[in-house]
This record gives sequence, structure tokens and C-alpha cells, in this order.
Amino acid sequence: MIQTFTQNDVIRYVYEETSEEENLLIQDALVHDTEMLEFYLDLVDLKIGLDASYREPSSRTVDNILAYSRNFDSKHQTSA
Amino acid sequence: MERIHVNDSELVSRYIQNGDEHAFETLVRRYKSKVYTTIYLIVKDTYVAEDLLQDTFVKAVDVLRSGKYNDEGKFLPWVLRIAHNMAIDNFRREKRYPNIVFEDGSSVFNTLDFAEDSIEEMQIKNETHNHLRDLIKRLPDSQREVLVMRHYEDMSFQEIADATGVSINTALGRMRYALINLRKMMSKNSPSYDTNLYAE
Repeated sequence: MIQTFTQNDVIRYVYEETSEEENLLIQDALVHDTEMLEFYLDLVDLKIGLDASYREPSSRTVDNILAYSRNFDSKHQTSA
Repeated sequence: MERIHVNDSELVSRYIQNGDEHAFETLVRRYKSKVYTTIYLIVKDTYVAEDLLQDTFVKAVDVLRSGKYNDEGKFLPWVLRIAHNMAIDNFRREKRYPNIVFEDGSSVFNTLDFAEDSIEEMQIKNETHNHLRDLIKRLPDSQREVLVMRHYEDMSFQEIADATGVSINTALGRMRYALINLRKMMSKNSPSYDTNLYAE
């Protein structure tokens, strides 16, 4: 029986939501389906780009968070 | 930089039980960019995202220190849920009172207050990852929501479907269009570029 896979299946595969059995079948399908392989490679490329697209908050914001935590006890004892 | 990787549940436990500030700082530094980017891609404003990041961790501190934390050691998904809810609430409020937002993600009011930061932002705008974030912001809301939840918040497609009240196939379809649209926008210099974005 020939199992056909959709682009949705490839997305689940790239995001590691497929079973071991599905992985083997999808890997086999990618070898034989150029269009699907192209879609897969595009996805991998995009995923790498998304991984690199994280941005950093300012150090002032991080310092404010840490200061809030450090002063938590004294603030709550005062207001109690 | 962390020399020895201590897992999240151990750090949370040290913070709750011993008030270990170093443990909390490690958690904040480990996840600040992930939480911040998640918020930023929803609210699309750097300054609002900074405020909401602070609010998110302040809420986390309140819950952790008051002994109400019960998430079986899964710190990141818990913090991301707080961040997501705050960002969505803000996004909905802003949609009722639309603001003018520039390409770099800052609002017109912020730029008036912090003109120097805006110039600095413009200087780094051409970097690839900035460009990609700009493209994500242009996606239709439903597609951007699924992309952010799956890629930045690490939710499974089933969890996204449950959270947004759609079927898993609809969630996957939205993700597929989001990724296809991103790819199309990235290749806009191609002669065959189609400027239309796919809707669902």
C-alpha cells in the first residue's frame, strides 16, 4: 500500500510530533517526492531562521525583575 | 554564562524553599529572550513588550513566593502561559484603541519619548533576524498566533487546537499558510513573486 503524506504531516515531522513509524515512512516519501522534499527543506531553513530571530530585552528590564524579587520580602512585610 | 546546567525544577525548588536569588536569576537569564520574543511578536511594540516581560516575571515571583506554584516543575510553559495571556489581553485592548506603529515595532508615542533608542533600532534593522520578525508581524492574526504558539511557546498542535477552539487540522493549516506566506515574503525579489498572502 502506498501511503501519501501531506504538507501538514511534514510540518508535524519538522516539529517532531510524528511517531517513529511515521518518521520512517515520511523519510522514505521525501526521497521519492521532489516537491515534498523542497517543501521540507524550505521548512527546515525557515525553522533555523526563526530560531535565530530571538531578541533580547534591555538589561534595565531584567534588572528591574531581579530587584523586585530581591525586595519581595521587605515589600510584603511592610505592606502586611 | 551557566557553567553547570541545573534543571528548572531544581532552580524553582531552591528559589521557593531557600529564597535563592541566584537560582531565580538563572531562570530569568535562561528564558528572558524566549519570553520576550513571544510577547513582542504578539504585541508588536518593543516598549510594551519590555513592560509585559517585567509584568510576567513579577507575577511569577508573586506566585512562587506565595507558595501557590504548582506546575510540576514545568517552569517555562507556565511562564510562557502567563506571558501569552498578558500579551493577548494587551493586544485586544490596543485593537480597540489603535496606535500608530512604525516598522521597527515602536509606537509613535514611544518614539517621541525615546528618540535615541529609535535611531539605534533603525541601525540594526537590516539584520536578517530582524527582517524575519518584521515579516512575522505582517502575517494575518490567526496564522501569526499559531506560529508563535508552536515555535516560540513550544505548544503542540493539539494543545494549540484546544487553546484556540479549532481542530488540529485547522491549526496545522494555519501553520502551513504562515510558513508558506513567510517564504513568499522572503523571496519577494524573485520575478515570480506573488504579493498576495494566502488566507486560510
